[in-house]
Amino acid sequence: MAHRLRAVWPPLLFAAVFLGLWQLLVVSRDIKPYLLPAPSLIWQNFSGELGLMSSTALYTATTALLGLVLGTLVGLVLALLAQRFIVVNHLMTPLAAGLAAVPIVALTPILNNMFDITSRTPRVLVTMIIVFFPVYVNVMRGLVQVQPVQLELMRSMNAAPGTVVRLLRIPNAIPFFFTAMKVAAPLSVIAALVSEYFGGPQLGLGSRIASAAANTAYGRAWAYVVAAIITGLVFYLAVLAAERLAAPWTGRSRST
Amino acid sequence: MTATAPATARSAVHAEGVWKIFNEGQPGEVTALQDVTLDVAEGEFVSLIGPSGCGKSTLLRVIADLTHATRGDMQVAGLSAAQARQEQKYGMAFQQAALFDWRTVRRNVELPLELQGWDKARRSARAMELLEMVQLADFADHRPWELSGGMQQRVAIARSLAVDPPLLLMDEPFGALDEMTRERMQNELLRIRRETGKSIIFVTHSIPEAVYLSDRVVVMSPRPGRITEIVPISLGERTEDTREAEEFYAGVTAVREALRGHPHDGSSVRARVGEV
Repeated sequence: MAHRLRAVWPPLLFAAVFLGLWQLLVVSRDIKPYLLPAPSLIWQNFSGELGLMSSTALYTATTALLGLVLGTLVGLVLALLAQRFIVVNHLMTPLAAGLAAVPIVALTPILNNMFDITSRTPRVLVTMIIVFFPVYVNVMRGLVQVQPVQLELMRSMNAAPGTVVRLLRIPNAIPFFFTAMKVAAPLSVIAALVSEYFGGPQLGLGSRIASAAANTAYGRAWAYVVAAIITGLVFYLAVLAAERLAAPWTGRSRST
Repeated sequence: MTATAPATARSAVHAEGVWKIFNEGQPGEVTALQDVTLDVAEGEFVSLIGPSGCGKSTLLRVIADLTHATRGDMQVAGLSAAQARQEQKYGMAFQQAALFDWRTVRRNVELPLELQGWDKARRSARAMELLEMVQLADFADHRPWELSGGMQQRVAIARSLAVDPPLLLMDEPFGALDEMTRERMQNELLRIRRETGKSIIFVTHSIPEAVYLSDRVVVMSPRPGRITEIVPISLGERTEDTREAEEFYAGVTAVREALRGHPHDGSSVRARVGEV
């Protein structure tokens, strides 16, 4: 417990000093809120509208979660297929790389036209595509990067190819999967939020940050930003907790 | 037993005229094994020794059916190498313990039994029996990374014994261990051999290790990989004094000379070892 406290207080102290200096700067220099609102003003807006903050965050979080789950599933299935069938691998590698180079969020207006603009669908699709890439690349690597000696061992024990995948390749890929999820989970919140800037229902964080800023309610705009940060952190911490539960051996030194 | 004796029920491994050529007929052609003929009797401990590239590991892999012989006949426990692997007539241990981090020590030992379709209770009981044999029963529920290198290697040996195969194939299993641990592991292995009566083929590049463990040391040489000499060792029951005994040093000298190559009188070394 003591060492856990030691790990926690430096960032807390840093945050307190940072916010204190920020507040001091804004008050002493009389900086206008449209340039930089004081932390106290942001906090007023945040705590005064807790209900609205959480329902708005929940809307965006739902979009992000749908995109995260679906994008992860697609990434996992395609990685398994690419590992199994070399044809899929040859097909997927350039496609995945190409996809990574597309400014996907900027496709939202097009997707808004293709699908029902009043639904979540275009945003979920954008999030899915963004999540897919790190999941596919990392899991694929985890499936392939098995110690050669472990493969020989499985062959010496007369394991069928499917058994090798089930008992060796998939468990081997689990730490890689969680590495991907630590990137993909916060990314899904950002993707869901940014895609709201391009029209559609005005119920999420992205829409409301934009409209608050347009209405010169800078304190509120920043309060929504705080809500977005909290949402992203919650996603990240959920992944950490899942990793502890599902793969307690990760992060340990590998046995040889 | 003569080198060309036909395969019988008493023969653990019977290799006759085995060749392994990589990239045959292509520019990068390498003869890894040239005309290897070797018989290992049941219950015998045979070491394969030689410099890097002499084909000792390749020979072990052909026996294990991890790679195929280009030409020649390889029989393991009276079956073809492929059949022997499919019927789990051997267990194998490598230089790396190759334990699965996501399994506990006990579940690592259970792995071959799981592949054989044993039910949970039976394989758990068998794994505990083996862990007791390698004196790691207290660590059954630990994770591999919590164990030292020597302990991990003992788990790997327990795993190779799980299906109770008549033959153990070991590819430099103690190569990554420090000298002290290594000697302890050698004694452990000899004890396990006494208790189980397994035939063992053991690849190493340590001369003292080969002499201490083996009934016969097969000396190989590279380019092309082939058997140059087979040195019989007769040290009897190994005790704490064996490593200091004159016969032991005579064996070490004989193997060393065979490794250097001495085309004139290879037979005299054999005679000398036989005398002592």
